[in-house]
Order: sequence, then C-alpha cells, then structure tokens
Amino acid sequence: MSGALKGTLVIEVAERPAGEYTAKLLAELGADVIKVERPGGAPTRAMGPHKDGQSAVFGFFNTGKKSVVLDLADPADRATLDGLLARAQVLIDDHDEAWGMAYSLTASLVAAAHPHLVHCIVTPFGQGAPREWQKAHPINVMNAGGWAYHSPTEAKPDKPPLKGAGRFLPDYEAGIDAATCVLASLHRQRKSGAKGAGGQFIDISEIEVQINRIDCVLDRMLAGDAEPSQERTAYDMGGPATCFACLDGHVYLFMTTQGHWQALGKLMGNPDWFGQFEPDWLEFHCTRERVEEFRALFRPWIARQAKLAITEAAQQAGLAMVPINTAADLPKNEQFIHRGFFQTVAGLTYPGLPFRMSASPSRIAGPAPALGEG
Amino acid sequence: MPQSNRGGPLAGIRVLEITKVWAGPYTGKILAALGAEVIKVESATNLDEMRAYGGVDINAAPYFLSINQEILSVQVNMKTDEGLELVRQMVAQSDIVVDNIRPGAMERSQLDYEHLRQIKSDIIQCSIKMWGTDGPLGYQTGYAPCFAALSGLTNLVGYEGETPEGMNIRYGDATAGAWAALACIAALNHRDNTGEGQFIDHSAVESMTCLVGDSLFAYALTGEVPKSDGNYHPEMCPHGAYACAGGEWISIAAENEAEWQALCKGLDAEALASDPRFATLGSRLEHRQTLDAVLSELTGPQDASHLSDRLRRAGVPAFRSQSSIDLCSDGYLWGRQGYRMVTDHRNGTRPIIGPSWRMEPDMASVERGAPLLGEHNDYVYRELLGLSQERLDDLVARKVVE
Repeated sequence: MSGALKGTLVIEVAERPAGEYTAKLLAELGADVIKVERPGGAPTRAMGPHKDGQSAVFGFFNTGKKSVVLDLADPADRATLDGLLARAQVLIDDHDEAWGMAYSLTASLVAAAHPHLVHCIVTPFGQGAPREWQKAHPINVMNAGGWAYHSPTEAKPDKPPLKGAGRFLPDYEAGIDAATCVLASLHRQRKSGAKGAGGQFIDISEIEVQINRIDCVLDRMLAGDAEPSQERTAYDMGGPATCFACLDGHVYLFMTTQGHWQALGKLMGNPDWFGQFEPDWLEFHCTRERVEEFRALFRPWIARQAKLAITEAAQQAGLAMVPINTAADLPKNEQFIHRGFFQTVAGLTYPGLPFRMSASPSRIAGPAPALGEG
Repeated sequence: MPQSNRGGPLAGIRVLEITKVWAGPYTGKILAALGAEVIKVESATNLDEMRAYGGVDINAAPYFLSINQEILSVQVNMKTDEGLELVRQMVAQSDIVVDNIRPGAMERSQLDYEHLRQIKSDIIQCSIKMWGTDGPLGYQTGYAPCFAALSGLTNLVGYEGETPEGMNIRYGDATAGAWAALACIAALNHRDNTGEGQFIDHSAVESMTCLVGDSLFAYALTGEVPKSDGNYHPEMCPHGAYACAGGEWISIAAENEAEWQALCKGLDAEALASDPRFATLGSRLEHRQTLDAVLSELTGPQDASHLSDRLRRAGVPAFRSQSSIDLCSDGYLWGRQGYRMVTDHRNGTRPIIGPSWRMEPDMASVERGAPLLGEHNDYVYRELLGLSQERLDDLVARKVVE
C-alpha cells in the first residue's frame, strides 16, 4: 500500500517549523518533498537540543525529505529552483513578504511563472500584515491569538500567560490547516487537468488558526451571546476539573455531573466528608468556594494513589480521571502500541500521525536528510 | 432547492456528518469552508448538545451557531430501521462520512465501514474517538482536557517546578476536528489516484500528542524527560510574558544579540545592554530570573499596546497578550475578514470566526450561518433521495423524520 500523495512532488523553501511541519505532513502522506536549504543549512539545524551533532528540532520537522542546497540570491541556483517548481505540484513557504520580494517568490510572481502550482505561505499574521508584525516568534503568536492569556485554566492575575506546550504550538496548529488546504487544492488541481492552470495561492495566518480553534467560545462573545472581558478566566468552564499530584506523577480529574460525583465516592470508599456536599452540587451548587473545599479534601487522598492503578479504576467506575502522561509514558502505553503510533526509523522513535488510514497508511519514509542529501 | 455554488477546492464533494458537540462538527465546518456540501444528520430526540446549551431555542443556540456555518441539516430518527435505511441512502450519495459518536454506536447501527462500503464501494469514512476505534483502551471516552492529559501535552504546560496545569480547558476539540478534516482530504487524494475509498480511524488523544512531537523526539534522542517549563526557551532570552499597566501583559522574545540590544534601547534601559550578567545568551539564560524581574519592573508601568508597537518598530518581536475583549475588538482581524458576517435566522446576520486561510483564485464563500434543525429536509429527501412529497409527509407523520 502506498501513501495518499504518491507521485506528488512538493518543494519546500520554508525555514521555520511552521512550514517545515506542513511539508513533513505531506511527506508522511506519501509525497516526495525536496527541502531547499540555504548554504550552510536550514536555521532549524541550529536549534537544540543536539545529540551527536544532530538537532532534535530539525530531525523531527524534516523526516522523510530530501535536501538540496541552493543560494537563491545566485541566478543559476534560482533558475534551478524554477526548474524544480516546473515539475512540482506544491510549493511551501513560511517567510515574510520582504523575503518573497527578494527572491521573486511572491504569490503573484509564482502564479505567473507556474500557474499550475499550489503555493502556500504560512505567516504569523497572514499576507498584508504591517511589515514590523511579520517577524513574530511562536510565543508572540500564542499571546496575540489569546490562548496564552487564557492558559492555564484558572489563570492567576499575577502569573504570566503561558506559551503552551513546547516551543512551537502555533507552528503545529498552522501546519495542520496549511496541509489541509494544500490537500484540498491538490484535489482541485487534479480535476482541472494536467496542463490546466489549476494552481492556487494559499495564505495561512497563524493567528487566525489560533482564534478559529476557540470558535465556540470567542464567537459567542463576538456575537454578543456572552460578555468578552479582560478576565484571564474568560475561556474557563468553572467546575472542579484540574490536575492533581499523585504518588508517582499527576492525574487529571474531570467532573460535571451527579453521576461523576457518585463514581468518585465509590472509588474513594465514600469517605465521611462526602456528606458535606449535596449529591447534585456539581450541577447546581458549584461555587468557587465549594470547588476549593472539595480540592482541599481530595488532594491528600489522591496524593497517596498510584497514577495508573487509580485512573484505571476510575475509568471502570465511570469517572473521567486520567493519567497525565509524560514523554516517557507514551511509548509504553498499550493503546499507543496497539495503534502503532510511534514509528521507528533508523533506530529512533518518532510520533506518527493521529489517524490510521486503511488504504493509504501514513509512513515516516526516513530520517531528516543530511545537508544536500537526496 | 439546489445548493448554491459556493466554489472552493472541494466543490462537488458531499460529506455526511453524524457528529455532536465540537470536534466532529469542527471537521464538518472546515470541509464546508473548503467548498464541500456538508449534511449534518440530526434528530429532535437525539440532539447535538450544542443546540441545547445556553438557551432553550434549539434553532438559536449560541454554541451551535458559533461552529456550524455552511452546514445543511437533515432530520432523521436513527433509532428506527426506516431512519437508518434513509441514512444508508444518503451514504450512497456521499463521498465522505464523518462521525464522532460513542464507541460501538456506528457498528450497532450497521454504519461501520464494512457496511458502508457495501453501500458505496469508494466511500471514505472517518471515525473520531478519544482513543481510536479499537484496542485495549478503545472503550474509554472523555473530554478535551482528558485527552490532552493523556496525550503528553498537558504535562508540558505550566510553571517551572510546579504541578503541570495544561492549556485552557477549552483546548483540544477543535484541533482534533482539524486533524480529521486533514485525514478526510488526504483520503480524497488517494481516491483520486486509485479510485479506492477507505476507513480513517482517528484518535483525539494522538491529535494532541502530535503537537508535542519535537519534545517527544528530543526525549527519544537525549533520554531527558521534558517537563512544564513556563515560558522558558533554551535559545531565546528574554522570552516571556511581562506584566504591564492595568493588568495587561506583553510577550517579548529576543532571538539574537541585535534583538536584545534593540530591546534595551526600546525600553530606555541601555545600561542593561552593558550589564555583564546579560552580555551573552548564555549569561542571560543563567540569570534569567533576575532578568525577568528587571524587565517586569520596566514594563510594569507601561501600556502594553504602546510598548509592543514601540518595541516592534525597534525590531523586537513583541505583542500584547490579547484578552477576549482585545480579540473581539481587534481592528486588524475585522479588517482582514478574520471575522466576517453570515446569515442568521433570528437577527439577520451574525459575526463568525472565518477560516484561517485565504485562497486565490476560487476561495469558497462562507455566507450562511448554522442551519435550523431540518432546514434541508426537502433538499435531501426530495432532491437527493428522490422521495415523493407524500412519502416525505408520511415519514414526518410517523416521526421517522423528526
């Protein structure tokens, strides 16, 4: 079985994780991806941590690609790129507009030279943003897009907004939408015929991905169904759900109903203090004070429980209490193993894609390339 | 009523959506925003909870209106054999079927892939489940913060040295839905190339795990288990969010010496630039708590918007940390159609959050708001399935269509 994009050639001139991830997704779906690197190599090669000279960042975001070194300021190399684009179906970029002008890779110039091409540029604020906005790091995008301000849940006024998991959350999120649009556009390109001008320009705004992912909260505020505010807790749901320390790590408890409350009681052997709470308090009496009271009573008990044993018992009892898995837990997790989520390539373990396709399974075709390899 | 030609790369593709709440409907929303005709299968007795939250009018429920733009609604009672037969007829006219209902429910209704492919051999089916369709934990269900916790993502979000806290509780559903849309269109590409349909077994947990892929790979490479780390960045310093006047915050990140020098200048704190504790990235990282405290003192009295404007002009990546009211009143997003108006049955129009992309040419139009329950019964039953008016009236009378 081959990948869904077998026979598709993608040229990547991206130099940030946002564009690199977009092209990596296409590679895992079976496309041939050629990464164009500047002399000396892509900037992500310099990003740590490094092991034996190999960057974990470059090594992750560039699996399954080939590498070609081109100095785009050099007319001969720039002509080589045009040769590649003439036989490719897709071009992925993630630079600011000045870069596109400098190397004649703006939307209109690419469309004129290669009308068949699906051309996607991922940028922090989309095309046409003020020049000085165009250089933004992922932490700036997280803050501009509102997720930082509202994370964590129950954010304290004196503690800073958080950048999210790892360094690149907005890059991943934008990569999903970028790859989705490219896939849709490839479908359109194919329908328009091999020689038709079936190309499209796709402009992905990282901040708009951020706000789209909160549609059912933020849009109610836009439409006047809910009050927007300066509160750090404006996205919260209320309720006692949160993370707790346990014997060997952390668990997450989610409870909203009387059924959940009964299940927790059963799991804990119905301690006396349960009597201090109405059976339906989660639905009808769930004040901040009650939540704090509950947590204070629950914390000493959960602190003595083992993460996996207690969460498994909780699930059996109908309670949504789950382990907070670490990077070390995941490869050993029976469900991840069952689904074959982690793939081993050249002796190293990589996370794959979050879905199994029965006819065109995704695959990491190889490790990230050495400079100029392929 | 033939559906208007909205254009877009997925024009001509029909999607049947058997979904509830957020993740599955979000998949439908993305496919619709790319031009597909998306038909949501609903019933009055088995409603999408989003039609019930926050109000009593199921046709004007804010949660539902905020997601389901350009979706068509057909009513059918899937608890009846006749209703299921109607759904099968809809499948026969569709390219893609998306569901996110409880594990085992599609199988019980004989709407699993083995049955669907007998109805239409090249059908693409995507099932969204917390842990995927089968396997030792496949029976478990949960909410977005649960799958974020299971995924490895929550463990990486929080303040240094404290219990991890995770992203905001609302994070996760939409992303899981976005991944499912990607998978459906990937399968469409495979069908274009081979004529073959397929089953997509999607895991919401894994859709969060993917977002920390580089951290997991770094662990595989180095053996160091990553932890929640506040706003720490190993290669940028300063890198964080700093308090400003009036409870506001500003994000600042300096990637190199030029940005660091520009920051000192932009804050009128040129003495910092020559402070030996902050002379190099290495020394700034070593003294980063001190540096963060010094910077917070400098930003504390300032207006976040003015300061970020000034810093950006000086060449320092900086942006105000936006609250919900900042976002709602963001002129740039309004001006760029990040927010746009769609039709609304009650008020005439409603603002929505538009797609994260622009396409040129052939961007699909997004103009119609969420559907009334059963708004497209006539289209689906009379035109698509070719039923007579008498037959449809009879199905309504007997509550098969309800």
